[in-house]
Amino acid sequence: MKIFTFLVGVLILNLTISGCITDKIDDNEAKQPDEYEWVDDGELVIVTYDVYGLTDEMLENFENESGYEISLLKLDDAGSVLDHLLQHKGQQVADIAIGLDNTYLQTAIDNNVLWEHNAILQNISESALLPYDGPLAAPFDQGYICLNYDSDIVDGVNYTVPESLWELTEEVWNGKVAIPSPETSSPGRAFMTATTDYFSTDSDNETEWTDWWSAMSLNDVIITTGWSEAYETRYTGGYGEWTDGYVGDAHIVVSYCHSPGVESWYNGNWTKSAALDIPKASFHQVEYAAALEGGNLDSASAFIEYLLSPEVNSKMPIENSMYSALEGYDLPEENGYLFHSVVPSEPAVVSSTTIANNMEEWLEMWNKAMVDA
Amino acid sequence: MPEMNIRLSNSCALLAYTLLVILPLWLALDRLIWVAGANPLDWYLSLEQNYVSQGVIQFTFIQALTSTLATLAIGLPIAWQLGRYKWPFQSLTKAILTMPFVMPSIVAAMGFLHIVGRAGLNIRVDDSTWFTTLIIAHAWFNMALVIRFCEPVISTLDPRLEEQMRLLPAGSSKTGRFRHLWAPLLAPSIAAAACMTFVFSFTSFALVRWITLGDNTLESVMAGIGSSAGIEGYMISRNEIVLGSSMIQFTILLLSLFLMSWLQQKRQSLLPQVSEEVVKQSNPKGWTVIGPALAFALSPLIAVFWASFRIRNTDSSGTHYTWETSGWEFAFSSSNSMTSAWDALYNSLGYATLTLIIALPLGWILAQTILDVEKDKPRFARFLDVLTMLPFAISSVMIGLGVMLGMIRIDAEFFYSFWPTPALAHVMITTPFVVRIMLPALRAIDPEYDECGRTLGISKWRRFFQIKLPLLRGSILVAVIFTLAMSLGEFGASWVVTRNSDWTTLPIMIDSLRSIPYNNSLTAPAACAVSSVLMGITLVLFTWAEKFRPSRDGGMF
Repeated sequence: MKIFTFLVGVLILNLTISGCITDKIDDNEAKQPDEYEWVDDGELVIVTYDVYGLTDEMLENFENESGYEISLLKLDDAGSVLDHLLQHKGQQVADIAIGLDNTYLQTAIDNNVLWEHNAILQNISESALLPYDGPLAAPFDQGYICLNYDSDIVDGVNYTVPESLWELTEEVWNGKVAIPSPETSSPGRAFMTATTDYFSTDSDNETEWTDWWSAMSLNDVIITTGWSEAYETRYTGGYGEWTDGYVGDAHIVVSYCHSPGVESWYNGNWTKSAALDIPKASFHQVEYAAALEGGNLDSASAFIEYLLSPEVNSKMPIENSMYSALEGYDLPEENGYLFHSVVPSEPAVVSSTTIANNMEEWLEMWNKAMVDA
Repeated sequence: MPEMNIRLSNSCALLAYTLLVILPLWLALDRLIWVAGANPLDWYLSLEQNYVSQGVIQFTFIQALTSTLATLAIGLPIAWQLGRYKWPFQSLTKAILTMPFVMPSIVAAMGFLHIVGRAGLNIRVDDSTWFTTLIIAHAWFNMALVIRFCEPVISTLDPRLEEQMRLLPAGSSKTGRFRHLWAPLLAPSIAAAACMTFVFSFTSFALVRWITLGDNTLESVMAGIGSSAGIEGYMISRNEIVLGSSMIQFTILLLSLFLMSWLQQKRQSLLPQVSEEVVKQSNPKGWTVIGPALAFALSPLIAVFWASFRIRNTDSSGTHYTWETSGWEFAFSSSNSMTSAWDALYNSLGYATLTLIIALPLGWILAQTILDVEKDKPRFARFLDVLTMLPFAISSVMIGLGVMLGMIRIDAEFFYSFWPTPALAHVMITTPFVVRIMLPALRAIDPEYDECGRTLGISKWRRFFQIKLPLLRGSILVAVIFTLAMSLGEFGASWVVTRNSDWTTLPIMIDSLRSIPYNNSLTAPAACAVSSVLMGITLVLFTWAEKFRPSRDGGMF
């Protein structure tokens, strides 16, 4: 009997504990640095995903210069970074988030998980400040998302270079287009955002952007969880053909307009990949570094300042395969990096507020379009 | 031990079990239901209504069924040859063929990836190549189950029985003997092996994650979307998918558990048995089965070791491979962005030891408790029996989510700075196994030994150390080794728990190394180097376990 009483006791204990913890989490108000007790513990915990720009050398230099000790939490993708922030709301374990882009940032801001940083920033390019120009996040790199194609195969003979998104729903492209999922990947999300603009401004008033996605779904579009699976495993035009898991069944992929430039940079001025400049089918993406609620505001701000110093940020094209967020630093000309990169003539225009207000609904609509097709 | 002490230790074990194993799952479930709503039908429907999980139920069942059939097709001929005939280096042969079962699944995944992939045989064609590879990998992993369950039945059946069959009309032909003797005799064992294979393939994660393309099992879907679970008002469908997936898994695993216990009773048939020495003859033709089987069992492991030295070089003249140790150096060097394999090794060994220290006594005392209350309160004993089996019915990713959501709810900051945290998931996974190993062993001890000792006036501690412990020695060692091996190779739960922390274990390090984009040519060899380390440790443990296997009972372990 004693044992039984014990068990019942424990179960009751469980119930009470779960009750009060639920209350604690529900606290939805953001606490600002001045009303929060935080101490400079001499550490900087970075939560990020595979942002290549955070090289060991760069991190070590920061440690040596500032005296802060860095530890990295590397998650799968930009989506997981946001998930992590929301899940740990009110009890953040990290001090700074690096890699949220303009399709994710506003959700983080609306959920009060960010703090105003106090870094002094100079010379940030106008374009990088376009989607968001406030104190809750600092842009550190940027680029354009667009379709890339394998010019060896899409050579005008076997496949013609598409001039509109509708062309991709035709039979010839069945199973030949790879797109990272907007639900989990930031390039995927950016591309989906671009399609909302593309189809609202096209000449055809009958169809919506979701109709295109449904048609793509019927045409066996390859949706992958992340960018790497789309680009490395599926796409025939990039360096993916050297990987073990490589399948190579897609000749068109969603990547960056400067991805061919990156290919060329690593291949000694040669690439068969090319960016496709279809008006409104590209999207300007900006990635941010942001101080986290309850974290070490001093170390986070110091790191933001460091990340945006000319010495570090000018190296973005090489270290991070992205454009710098500073004024006056274009892609390098060596090895055809600049030459093979495209700046889209007419990118999609969707404001951050529109994105923030609609993203969740868009994702639901996208999901429905893909499932019901 | 005096009555009072038994009561106290039993209660403490129960309390510890409830706090360590049941509480985190309870908290996680509570949280998920709080976000998603308590409508199981919605959870289930959500799986088909979302693009991310559409078709997953179907794929999970199809691949598990196909894997089960493939495993039987590969495992049965091997079990037959092993059971019926004499082989040189018999125990070594058998050890090699059953070893895949204890290999961490991530190591197997790396092995098969390298055999099929570009750097290996380069036989990839399309998605179907990877599906076939997954099935074969599952067969590789689970063929040990077929051997363990069926081989003892084959090898100990009195040959006179078959001789008698020959004289009867129904047994005059080979097919007749098969139909009337071997098939009914082996059926329960084959069914048991098939049932376990189905369960392991059904909840497969590391192999699915690394080998298939775009296809997911319920387990890998949960792992993929688990990061957005448990957040109020955010991606509610994700919570429904997690709940729906684990509900289906729970049902299937529970059914399998019942089926298994029923089959186990059936297997204890009372046919005349003899020593296997009497049964076995030599069979030179059998090498056509055993030879390829040995090659099959060893090839992924050799591939992993081999690939750890093979470095890809790309320059203007194309891509070629060189033999270097730089993959190993890369794995064992530390940097800010990558923990060194030394740290991962330290964590892995530490968690394994910690898991052992907690799970072994806990499982042992729980098993003892079940035995103790069996006489007076059979119902309560049955309840405890089921309670200790509960984690079996919960997949490791769900256990991981339980630990993660549980610790976020209690005190995230504390748990993230508390090194032992990941071991909690390992304790949850291994304790039920310890109970399963210790329960039959404890039951087998004749209480008369203890009573005799008591009559002779031997103190309780001496009775424990000099009577009970030696009798249990074999089972304890198997439990120890099994707990260590499971903890070292554990992937699903650790993948969920340690992602938000920086305590990398060896399997997680392999995964993250392989996840680094491929333009760094050292990451794949480094992943294989770490896999080789993990493989080496597992092999040592396995060889050790083979020595102490208590009896030829044909169990899983």
